[in-house]
Amino acid sequence: MSKTKIRIDYSKCGENGKVDPRDCHKCLEVCDPCVFLMHEALGYKEEDLYNPQHWRITPVWPSVCTRCFYCVKACPEKAIKISW
Amino acid sequence: MCDWCMKHGAGKKWYMNAKNYSDQLAKDLNLEDYLTEQWMNFETVFIRKIMGLSSIGLGYKLKMPIIGRVIRWVVERMIHKEETKKRNPMRADGHFGQVIPLEDGKIILSELAAEPIIENYCMCRWMQRGKKEAVCINFGILSEIIEKLPRFIPKNRVVRIDREEAMQRLEEHNKKGYIASVWFQPVPYICAICSCESPECGGLRLRNNFDLNVVYKAEYIIQLDQDKCEGCKACVSMCQFSAIRYIPSIDRVIIDYDKCFGCGICRHACKNDALRLIPREEYPGFDGKY
Ligand code: SF4
Ligand code: SF4
Ligand code: SF4
Ligand code: SF4
Ligand code: SF4
Repeated sequence: MSKTKIRIDYSKCGENGKVDPRDCHKCLEVCDPCVFLMHEALGYKEEDLYNPQHWRITPVWPSVCTRCFYCVKACPEKAIKISW
Repeated sequence: MCDWCMKHGAGKKWYMNAKNYSDQLAKDLNLEDYLTEQWMNFETVFIRKIMGLSSIGLGYKLKMPIIGRVIRWVVERMIHKEETKKRNPMRADGHFGQVIPLEDGKIILSELAAEPIIENYCMCRWMQRGKKEAVCINFGILSEIIEKLPRFIPKNRVVRIDREEAMQRLEEHNKKGYIASVWFQPVPYICAICSCESPECGGLRLRNNFDLNVVYKAEYIIQLDQDKCEGCKACVSMCQFSAIRYIPSIDRVIIDYDKCFGCGICRHACKNDALRLIPREEYPGFDGKY
């Protein structure tokens, strides 16, 4: 099977986007194999190191994606694109 | 007993050696700064680059000819790294664990774990499923470190618990179907008992999907008493490893022993006492297969 490419549009969701993934995380909930990872964005000067405020989603395990498209349908910002 | 028992068990299972839980060991290994650094950044462990490569798309990377084999070797070495001075907290070096049955977990919590004991939000479920559930039990200096990190601390609830409560909580999680596991963090210091699910758990992910030895199977394996099984199927849905299957023609379940991690969760579902755990070494075909 060819590689699955999953892209997140970070202008819509993430540390600079409209949506903070910590409030939404719909993609995490619907993805049976847990392809997505919610994590603090790298390279930010956080004011409080113990309580970082910049978060984003990374599709970290694309090889286990089943191409069910549940995440694409669930994302309120239409921020997820999948191709192969 | 596995290699880690030989090295760190002092004649017992590695997680039954009291020394591995001691504050003195944490001090000797200078773990306060190390674990603080690690826990502040834990959610980024899979996306940080190690020697130019992150874990993003690890499944594809491991399949690359030659390079894939090199990556596997590097990652395995990192996970099991014992040289204190060369360890990097941002990569979770030396952090690996083993599945344990409820009974062993209770012994750890009643006799071995260093205080204070806390119960905090599971990181894996938070970063992979967006769920906050307080099921991770931590000990000793790690408890004091996690208490400073607001995202892991349940609101409106007591975070510090005593040994009795900790045992009770572990039992509740276990009966719900969560797999108990105990962790070196970093080896040989032990400071956590987790109650995991797959595929949310990062450790089980690496083991189940990529065959990396981050989590070892338990020192035990399940044994089915075929005569006692009435084929009610209750155990099937409990097993997180798909090791139990119901076969209609014989009206009982069968066990795929190769898949069994020895967590003992299925036992909670059986009203006929048909499932019990036996030491792995008593099962000739599976002795030494962790
Ligand atoms: S397509 Fe399905 S399996 Fe793939 S990332 Fe989206 S929800 Fe997960
Ligand atoms: S569902 Fe869409 S908007 Fe919500 S966290 Fe995921 S990518 Fe962001
Ligand atoms: S190891 Fe298990 S319990 Fe611990 S954080 Fe991960 S999934 Fe949660
Ligand atoms: S069959 Fe093995 S892995 Fe499955 S629940 Fe029972 S003890 Fe755990
Ligand atoms: S729960 Fe017990 S009786 Fe029911 S199918 Fe499983 S082993 Fe058999």
